[in-house]
Amino acid sequence: MSEKIMQEEKRVFMTGNEVVAWAAIAAKADIMYGYPITPQNEIMHYWTRLVPKYNKAFLQTEDELSAGFTTVGGVMAGRKAFTATAGPGNTLMQEPMSMAEMMRLPTVVVIQQRGGPSTATVIYSQQEVTLTTLGGNGEGMRIVYSTANHQELYDYTIKAFNTAWKYRFPTFVLGDGYQAKMREPLTIYRPEDRGMQIIEPQAYVGLAGVPGRDRPPAHHRNTYNLEEELYEKVSHDMAEFERIAPEVAEFQAENTDDADLVVVGHGVVFRAVREAVNNLREQGHQVGYFRPVTLRPLPVQQIKELSAGVGKILVVESAYGQLARLFKEVAYGGTAEITHFFRPGIGITATEVADRVKGLLEPVLRQPRLRKASFG
Amino acid sequence: MSIINKDRIVEAYIGEYAAGKSEAALSRALELAALGRKVTLVDLDIVEPCYTLRPVQKELMARGVDVIAWETKETLGLGEAGATIKPEARWALRRPGDVILDIGYGVAGSKTLKLLEGADEDPFLSVICVVNTSRPMTSGMEQIVEHVREMGKVDGLINNTHLGGETTVEVVQEGAGIITRAAKNLGLPVVATTAPAFIAGQIGSVDCLGNPVRPLAGMMSKAFW
Repeated sequence: MSEKIMQEEKRVFMTGNEVVAWAAIAAKADIMYGYPITPQNEIMHYWTRLVPKYNKAFLQTEDELSAGFTTVGGVMAGRKAFTATAGPGNTLMQEPMSMAEMMRLPTVVVIQQRGGPSTATVIYSQQEVTLTTLGGNGEGMRIVYSTANHQELYDYTIKAFNTAWKYRFPTFVLGDGYQAKMREPLTIYRPEDRGMQIIEPQAYVGLAGVPGRDRPPAHHRNTYNLEEELYEKVSHDMAEFERIAPEVAEFQAENTDDADLVVVGHGVVFRAVREAVNNLREQGHQVGYFRPVTLRPLPVQQIKELSAGVGKILVVESAYGQLARLFKEVAYGGTAEITHFFRPGIGITATEVADRVKGLLEPVLRQPRLRKASFG
Repeated sequence: MSIINKDRIVEAYIGEYAAGKSEAALSRALELAALGRKVTLVDLDIVEPCYTLRPVQKELMARGVDVIAWETKETLGLGEAGATIKPEARWALRRPGDVILDIGYGVAGSKTLKLLEGADEDPFLSVICVVNTSRPMTSGMEQIVEHVREMGKVDGLINNTHLGGETTVEVVQEGAGIITRAAKNLGLPVVATTAPAFIAGQIGSVDCLGNPVRPLAGMMSKAFW
């Protein structure tokens, strides 16, 4: 009795958490494992409300460690499984997701960042960038999409399942508490109607036939005996991660070619960055923006070109340098002066970004430039 | 209860998550206050208190509405360590004048009414379920009927169909059609169609099905945590 609510594209009004649940339905996810934590709770709430209508499943586990490992187990059993968490829950998820990295399992985790360290606030931050991109005792072989609005939460949650199952690296959708609770219109759709092919999951264990006779035995390891064995395995996976990075990496940029200064921001902060840059452009300032959509892998080539071609870069984030650290590593060797505007755990407005940019542009503005005249 | 006037208005606004309950409640309180009536508006959202009238209570009080709500900084563990109602809120129905109750979402929200002294015997108490058909969970007639039946005592519906900044007259009128059909099915009245002031102005005093139109104050866009 699978209900067909999503028969056609439709403009709807939702909260961000709800969007994730609907997107998981659209992506044909089978099961969510989860443990409640604000601000992601309604992902679970709405998923559980949709479960009986769409013949899906849900398991509430005893904590996030377990939610992560059951997600791993669900994937190994051939289910399109996912989980969602935030803050200290994300910390606990790192062990199972490291295991997923080691075993190349296509897990999907949605993170709605809250304030940190620890339980801090239930509200908002961008302080889970380091944890989500590079957490665990591994090399960060994951894919992380940072969304900025509800349409993207829908689009990238659907995409995350395909990315995970195509490349077999743990995939994360990185939202935040503001996006989780905010409400705005978006279009929901069935991916098939837009020509997207949804990748079917495949089981790792419990396959038909006698192992060793009808098929190779299923031997999925997360432990290796010797250093050389591990070195070979990790090197192989890292090479593959680096090979796929350029086709996975996504970014958004505007007006960077003639800019004196480019503002860099991700996630919900990008909304403020874009508004500030557009307003400053209208006022005649030579500014642009650059937004990494994937925080792991980063759009390396584009960041290198940017940092080699522009005078100043301002990194803006609701954290104390978590994006800036990732960005600078890639930008290393470029000539741009990289400055920052860090606001850990608090929202950033377009006015605040614009004020900071104007402060940085002042020395440049003292030297009149002919092309500015065209902006009146 | 001699303090109760015969024309007393007591309304509880319940409904689905993000249906527009707080906006409908505070707009109603402002409407009554503007008529010179004594109004108390009570924040009873203990289900998911991230988006309540707490942050706009001073502005509401300045416009003549008595408000019972926590200040966000007075609260502890919002959203996950449980929430408590203000002690005054428990006795809100004993207050003279009109009382407007802004309730948390879903069935859990409507049960909050049980925490109020006198809620089960107040002859004036009208429970109003706010519905937005742009919300996928309440987009169709049958879904609305099912949703309202789960909520317990409901005395009327409000059509609050909108698409945020993309709301048009057509969106609101389409919602009016679906919700009016659901109300008939449930044997309930549509108390009002609510809409942003500029849309309400375009629709006029009644919507396409004759339901009265109430303009919204549009204050909840300022209320986040």
